[in-house]
Amino acid sequence: MGRRCLLETILEPGSLRVLFQPVFEADAGRMRVHYLESLVRGPEGTSLEAPEVLFDYAGRKNAAAAVDRACVRTILETARSLPPGATLGINVHASTLAHDPEFLSFLGDTASLHMIDPSRIVLEIVEHAPPWDMAAFRTSLEGLRDIGVRVALDDVGLGHSNFLMILECRPEYFKIDRYFVADSPRDFHRRVVLASIAELAARFGGQAIAEGVETRAELEAVRNLGIELVQGWLFGPARPATQPWGPQVMKWSSL
Amino acid sequence: MTETRAASPAPRLLILDDEEAIAHPMARFFRQLGCQADVACEAEEAAALVDHRRYDLAILDLRLNSYGGAEGLDVLREIRRTNPGTAVIVLSAFVSDEMEVEARRCGADRILAKPQDLPQLAAVAASLIGVQLG
Repeated sequence: MGRRCLLETILEPGSLRVLFQPVFEADAGRMRVHYLESLVRGPEGTSLEAPEVLFDYAGRKNAAAAVDRACVRTILETARSLPPGATLGINVHASTLAHDPEFLSFLGDTASLHMIDPSRIVLEIVEHAPPWDMAAFRTSLEGLRDIGVRVALDDVGLGHSNFLMILECRPEYFKIDRYFVADSPRDFHRRVVLASIAELAARFGGQAIAEGVETRAELEAVRNLGIELVQGWLFGPARPATQPWGPQVMKWSSL
Repeated sequence: MTETRAASPAPRLLILDDEEAIAHPMARFFRQLGCQADVACEAEEAAALVDHRRYDLAILDLRLNSYGGAEGLDVLREIRRTNPGTAVIVLSAFVSDEMEVEARRCGADRILAKPQDLPQLAAVAASLIGVQLG
């Protein structure tokens, strides 16, 4: 091993940055912020600024869990600047929950350090590279739920976020990828899939979230299918915690 | 987590070299010729990039001594697996016959010795991707 590699840079305090993108609840003609998803960006000016490259790189370095921890630390530090009481969505790999037995205490301790009650955390489970230890994953999820953390399953319907993961996670939130939302106003079959996921979520006692809503027509299509939680560029880009958030309600007519 | 990226007609290049003093000036040179150029200094970084971006050309240093871990040939194999249409130039300061055979077997389009004159490199790049640069 010679000079400093990028992984060391990533794990250094202050090298990651976080943007927040709201999940909105469409309610009686108004859009209310339900929670804020944290979106991590890698070191500025490097190829790892793009999150998909950052996490791919971390996986190749066998450092997904260490990078997940660095992300959680950065998010909870940054969350100090958010409006008080805001609920945070934090992405974590399923493999981290399975392979890092100390993650639960790490999350609890870090949240406590920044005075964030775990009930204000929605852990968004993502996975790109099985296999991993399902029993350890289950134990980790149970521990997280015991301290009040809620669970969202990301990218439902794509890749590894399938029925098996739904059963294992029993998520409070089913996040539906943009793949199903795009073109849903014109595509009957996409609407059938969206409706079935929304019904599945309700039967599990959870809620579906339509991700990547970019047009008014897509918003209306998902709402007509009973999906009240939405997220996407239609409501503005992700932004830093330090930008003023203003009233957490947006008028329906302003969209 | 959904990311979108605007398409661009400019040729897209990936430069992998663990010596930043070589990689960055090379990237600047190709940008001046109208290319989009990404720089990676580690093989894992380059492999992550080729998994998520489509490149017209990759210029790969064969030996990455500074960081340990994977090497240029590993990235070449990844490119051939994920983006077989990407042209690949392999650069190395020490090209033995065995290495040359292995690089060709892995799918390198050209194998050039380091250091390489940049205008000459650009001419090889242009012929491989079939566009006029500059």
